[in-house]
Amino acid sequence: MGIEEAWLIPTYGFVAFGVIALFGRYLPLQGKHLSIIAIVAAFVTFWPVLFDFVSLGVGEHHVPRVWFSAGEFSVGSGMIIDPLTIVMLALVTFVASLVQIYSLGYMRHAHNGHVADDPRIGWYFAVHSLFTAAMLTLVLADNLLLLYLAWELVGLCSYLLIGFWWERKSAVNASKKAFITTRVGDVGLLIGILILVTETGTFDISTIIHHVTAGDVSDGKTTLAAFLIFLGAMGKSAQFPLHVWLPDAMEGPTPVSALIHAATMVTAGVFLVARLLPIYEVAESAQMFVAVIGIITALMGATLALVVTDLKRMLAYSTMSHLGFMMLTLGAGGYTAAAFHLLMHGLSKAMLFLSAGSIMHSMHDETDMNKMGGLRHRMPITGAAFTIGALSLSGIAPLAAFWSKDEMLVAIKDGLNPIFVVLFLVAVVLSALYMARATYLVFFGPLKSENRAVHESPLLMSLPLVVLAVLSVFAGFIVLPLGGDYEGIGRFLFHGEHGHDFEIQPLWTIVSIVLATGSFALGIWLYKSSRSTVDTIRVQFSGVHRILVNRYYMDTMYQWIVDRVVLALGRAVALFDRTVVNDRGVNGAGLTVLGAGKRLRGHVTGLFADYGLAMGAGVTAIALYVWLRGA
Amino acid sequence: MSYFERHVLETLIYLPMLAALILVFIPRPQKSLIQGISIASGLALLIMSLYAFIAFDYDGGARFQLQRSYPWLDQLGIAFALGIDGIAAPMVLLTGIVSLAGTIVAANIQRDNKDYYILLFLLIAGVYGTFVSMDLFFFFFFYELAIVPMYLLIGVWGSSSKFKDFDRPKEYGALKLVMMIVAASLLIWVVIIGIYVESGTGSFNIETIMATIDQPGRFSETFQSVMFLMTMVGFGLLAGMWPFHSWSPDGHVAAPTSVSMLHAGVLMKLGGFGIIRIGVMLLPDGLREWALLLFIIGTINVIYGAVSALAQHDLKYVIGYSSVSHMGYVFMGIASMTAVGLTGATLQMFAHGIMTALFFTIVGGIYERTHTRDTLVLNGLASKMKWGTAFFVIAGLASLGLPGLAGFVAELLVFIGAFQTQPILGALGVLGAAITAVYILRLVGRTFYGERDKKWDNLTDLTPREFIAATVLLVPLFYVGLYPQPLLRVIRPGVDAVLAGLGA
Repeated sequence: MGIEEAWLIPTYGFVAFGVIALFGRYLPLQGKHLSIIAIVAAFVTFWPVLFDFVSLGVGEHHVPRVWFSAGEFSVGSGMIIDPLTIVMLALVTFVASLVQIYSLGYMRHAHNGHVADDPRIGWYFAVHSLFTAAMLTLVLADNLLLLYLAWELVGLCSYLLIGFWWERKSAVNASKKAFITTRVGDVGLLIGILILVTETGTFDISTIIHHVTAGDVSDGKTTLAAFLIFLGAMGKSAQFPLHVWLPDAMEGPTPVSALIHAATMVTAGVFLVARLLPIYEVAESAQMFVAVIGIITALMGATLALVVTDLKRMLAYSTMSHLGFMMLTLGAGGYTAAAFHLLMHGLSKAMLFLSAGSIMHSMHDETDMNKMGGLRHRMPITGAAFTIGALSLSGIAPLAAFWSKDEMLVAIKDGLNPIFVVLFLVAVVLSALYMARATYLVFFGPLKSENRAVHESPLLMSLPLVVLAVLSVFAGFIVLPLGGDYEGIGRFLFHGEHGHDFEIQPLWTIVSIVLATGSFALGIWLYKSSRSTVDTIRVQFSGVHRILVNRYYMDTMYQWIVDRVVLALGRAVALFDRTVVNDRGVNGAGLTVLGAGKRLRGHVTGLFADYGLAMGAGVTAIALYVWLRGA
Repeated sequence: MSYFERHVLETLIYLPMLAALILVFIPRPQKSLIQGISIASGLALLIMSLYAFIAFDYDGGARFQLQRSYPWLDQLGIAFALGIDGIAAPMVLLTGIVSLAGTIVAANIQRDNKDYYILLFLLIAGVYGTFVSMDLFFFFFFYELAIVPMYLLIGVWGSSSKFKDFDRPKEYGALKLVMMIVAASLLIWVVIIGIYVESGTGSFNIETIMATIDQPGRFSETFQSVMFLMTMVGFGLLAGMWPFHSWSPDGHVAAPTSVSMLHAGVLMKLGGFGIIRIGVMLLPDGLREWALLLFIIGTINVIYGAVSALAQHDLKYVIGYSSVSHMGYVFMGIASMTAVGLTGATLQMFAHGIMTALFFTIVGGIYERTHTRDTLVLNGLASKMKWGTAFFVIAGLASLGLPGLAGFVAELLVFIGAFQTQPILGALGVLGAAITAVYILRLVGRTFYGERDKKWDNLTDLTPREFIAATVLLVPLFYVGLYPQPLLRVIRPGVDAVLAGLGA
């Protein structure tokens, strides 16, 4: 087994989906274990692929295959296996395995006094399998069409899982919002792909990149295509202004959120930009645009996370902010740093969501942080895991995300204007603050009397937490040369001619450590000893607070556009169609003919008046013919 | 050629006629016998269509295959000549699939199902005849044969609807549909006579006429230009071309389910097929002249249909307008005058035929159970109609162009063709697919998801019959979406020949 068989990795999931969706009802426990087997098999299959990849030599390997052809277009279903793919395969199969195992515990609810599986448990696991399989296809795809196919499939699965409890109106609306918002971006993506394909005559990613970097495509078209493709990435990766679906997506079961935020959905946009980074390096203005959108998103997400009281939404805004970091870094050309942060953030964020799920599981789906507090006494494992995750994402040394944040800082400093560095550091400060706030509100302080019955979650749920917690502590060390042939992430996962070694830039490292640790401590201190200061700040800046609580009024604005513009246009066109096109145009013409028919009735007595018309038309035809021949 | 191969095309025409004839002699009360014979005939038709499709030699065979010709009126050069090319072959297969699903669904007709089936089979015979005719006279004859039964099928078995500020009696829908299509077919008749005379061959045979197009002094540009415009409107109307589309939504609202299936599924395709067969093949200069207009109208179709569908809350109006929108891609593909675009147009006809028939199967099932199609009244049906929901959602996903389903491949090919010639219009076409997502998801969200109203508590899921009909349609939807090659390689030679005529 080697990289030739890497196609097996997504295939298990597709098969599991098919079997469970069609025959799940005849299987014991609706076939939920099939899904677990499939994802674990994918994780196991990943290892021989990795070893083969390393033994073949780190680089880009191509496994071509033809899917279909039409005219001069031939579309493949081949694979690219390069370090980026390897990293994504590892992250997706690993996180998805843990999330699915966790789901075994989470998706058992109390029903009329006894605990049982969710009634649609089979469907849940089936779509989970499909979701992961689609994402794995996306990262393996060697051509833009297969990538787009997987991309849309990922969107579909998120739609199905966010709306999993479709009896709830809010879940239906959230799922619809997610699908349509990302779909708006996808219009750009598809047009962008079509421009590149029209210019280069192929869907194949490496050939397209080759043509673009060789200057075969005009700068204008390259830039336009890069912009449009980024629209797709903005939708999937919840970048401003297409981020609005992400917080609402919390309507889905919490393990789904963990999956969406860490592995299978929002990472797709970052992955896409990373995959096509050579194109963005040619299209400089598009790359700058990526950076600007990235920093706006990072700041917007961080500020929103600071005021929101819903635990899951806080995590969602945090994800948004971190995705902004990754886009910013890609905009700075920091391929390694962005992908590295994708990995570290994925591990920590998956754990944070699973911790939130663990709390909800024992608190009857409560997500309001103000109703929590002191939970560490009742849920020590969850508390420890959450705290580690929060520290990691705040960038506290030496946890996982500290290393990647540091890499990003270096990349941004090297690649962009200093103003971006300043704004990035502001966002870093904010992320430490909101993480500290959430950690304190949920786990520290006194335990509320109504929460006495809260208990730690079962082993199936706490075990994945422990695994992820350990990784969130140690995973960052892959940045360092760990001996053997491994010379650190910068020499494994890079783009361009040469990798780079991990370098400590003492000044910047100290700045980032001080800022992160300081703000985290400040956050804890504010909520622990000086609540009144928090309240004072809130009152002092009540205007800002209102804007933040109302999410910058973006949802309101979109709702207005949908109701007052899009639907109004639909109604106007429909009315036009009925009254003008139909009543005037068709009925009017019909009545005229009818009137003429009445006058002609003395001559034509047959019931089928149109036969008369047919004869008339015949005469016209002959006349027309004579005229044309004469001409 | 084996005996079977020699006769398969005429069998496709005779078989539904024979079924109709047999039904004439079966006493009216024998309802289940009538159903049985009809469904068996539907199955036989699908098998024969599949046979014809597979027998088509895509690799180096002649342009028109499985040819058969019987002299009919030698003096005027009219012969009963049959044959299929790469564009007709998938249409024949489509007709087979939709006919089987349609005859199965038609089994729910309670009143006079004998007469219903007789008319339905005449319609099917007409559709097959149009697709396989190589003689323009018979082409037109079968074309009319397919339309006329519509009037009775809708007028007698249809349903009238009352809306808040307007009424749509079934007679109105039936009359409008038939009058508009018949009026448009007059244009086609003029074109056919014109071409017949202009070619100077004294023959109605398409191949014979094609050989004369390039001869000096024949088929002048003016002639082609005028004729193409008439062809475009005449056939375009049946394909739902804006602004002559208004028969389509009203016709579907009035029509019984199986008629809607056949109508949107195959009859509308006669329009697109006609534009290719007569417009593109026989009047290439005319197409070149009017390509931009056709392109623009196609784009209007896509956007206008989708935007209109946004505001509808009657399930059939939504599907009716979505058909208007989807047929726009067919026009765009043809107007691109590229191999990819034309392939996409043909495949889009196939894909749309299947998905719309599937839509109507489920909508009809819902209407029978609830006696309403109003999405403001229907809600939460998913908890009672699990399979119905699944089928509808899949049809919806195909409709919004989800990769992996037939619609996507077709639209993608149309887009590639469009981007090679008119990128701006092509981009608007992509936008249309996004609007489709909005109305489909709104519809699904309201009708199937959410809390269920008490009055739907006793709703039942699809009957085995409906389930089978839906599955017959679902299989090709997935098959073509995941592996379109078998269809594409058949369409390819047909498109190549058409392009050769265009001098491209």
